Amino acid sequence: MVHGIGKNRGFAVRFVKTLYFDNAATSWPKPKSVLKSMRSFFLKGGGNPGRSGHGRSIGAVRVAVRTRELLARLFNVDDSSRIVFTKNATEGLNIAIYGLASGGGHIVTSSMEHNSVMRPLTDLRARGCEVTAVRARADGSVDPGDVAGAFRKNTRFVVMTHASNVTGAVNDIAEVGEVCRERGVPLLVDAAQTAGCVPIDVQAMHIDFLAFSGHKGLMGPQGTGGLYIGDDRLKRPLMRGGTGSLSDREEQPDFFPDRFESGTLNIIGIAGLGSGVEYVLNRGIGALALHEGALLKLFLRELDGDERYSLYGPCAGDPRLDIGDPGPGRGPYVRQTGVLSLNIRGLSPSRVGQVLDREYGIQTRIGLHCAPSAHRTIGTFPDGTVRLSWGPFATERDVRRVVRALHAVAGEGAGGS
Amino acid sequence: MVRKSKRIDLRALEGVITFFGSHHAIRAEGLLKQREIRAVLIPGPREISANCGVAVRFDFNRREEAEALLNEHMVHFEGIHHYPER
Repeated sequence: MVHGIGKNRGFAVRFVKTLYFDNAATSWPKPKSVLKSMRSFFLKGGGNPGRSGHGRSIGAVRVAVRTRELLARLFNVDDSSRIVFTKNATEGLNIAIYGLASGGGHIVTSSMEHNSVMRPLTDLRARGCEVTAVRARADGSVDPGDVAGAFRKNTRFVVMTHASNVTGAVNDIAEVGEVCRERGVPLLVDAAQTAGCVPIDVQAMHIDFLAFSGHKGLMGPQGTGGLYIGDDRLKRPLMRGGTGSLSDREEQPDFFPDRFESGTLNIIGIAGLGSGVEYVLNRGIGALALHEGALLKLFLRELDGDERYSLYGPCAGDPRLDIGDPGPGRGPYVRQTGVLSLNIRGLSPSRVGQVLDREYGIQTRIGLHCAPSAHRTIGTFPDGTVRLSWGPFATERDVRRVVRALHAVAGEGAGGS
Repeated sequence: MVRKSKRIDLRALEGVITFFGSHHAIRAEGLLKQREIRAVLIPGPREISANCGVAVRFDFNRREEAEALLNEHMVHFEGIHHYPER
């Protein structure tokens, strides 16, 4: 740790080298190639995609196509035009939820959803839709059998998170997908916490709609995200407007991706996102999952069983990272993402977070993480937890520094960092 | 922008593929070139189509191969036309 006293407009400032452990909110640092692509677009490109036949406009379309193709490779999507860009996972979820719920009916979800799902569903409930939120286990994972049990005759779709943003618990989406396929009900998956961190294969896992953010595991800039639309039961976009295509008509185009992409895209962000996805593909999604898992195991080795801590998530008390081969074509199954929620006995999460930040320069996220229902499920409402979340650039040394700080805050080995 | 690419004689390419959206035009151009079918993006001729702003001029002699390639890779196109450069 680097300490020092400096002057800032007359105030003494204590410098502490910070450690960023809030990658579940947005990843940092990003690969340098992300900035390079954005800089290059800013300096050399700059056109509006699909609006003209000149070089800069076509160059901008090439940027979008490159990113779409890379995403298609990562998620095993056959037709890359069915990946539409949004400003974040929330927008993708809203497009799918409101599009699929038009006409009412019953919706199945889980108690672990983020407000990006819960708030649209609460709104739809007020407008006459029926919603069943399947209660998750105490570790935050959902039993696919409980999802099957929640179906009704008029169930329109299932919306579920791939992994909890609170506990990191990864759901068995392949099994849920199987259940949905048997019943002929489309499945919408919130991959905000897993895209770029956990293997996703939309075909093997029977995912009809996949909403993802670009600025977390995919290493892109903020303001990027997308929605994969693999089923034609989603017809209506949330917005309509200019697409550069069918300019002689005042009706929205019905083909992909234009139907769901009105107005000028965030091409400079999409340029960066493409390089982020390329970074993930080059390092390998399996290797990234194992790296984050190895750091999780290190945390658990140091903290699990110590009675001063309450740890949440499926690997607490059972640090197996995976559960073996889940079946042909499903890819490695990871039980927990690079997220660990915890509490220190006798201290509020906000107090712990404040001390970690001010005294030790460790940036975490405390409280309810926009997921009150998830905290009710694991028994931590209304105070919440301290959430540690790391990314591809975190090291064992970083983890040891966080552990030393936690022990110091918990009252043992004070000043031990 | 300065173009350094070697000039393709457009008069030798008598076919034009039109598209609904530019995503598909760019993908088509890439796939055709990969298969070594000569192809170049052009502004969509209004006489053929009112749709997307860009079209692909290509070697019409290999139209069947091109069509199969685009279908195989789920590239959606509006039509394939014999439309020599005038």
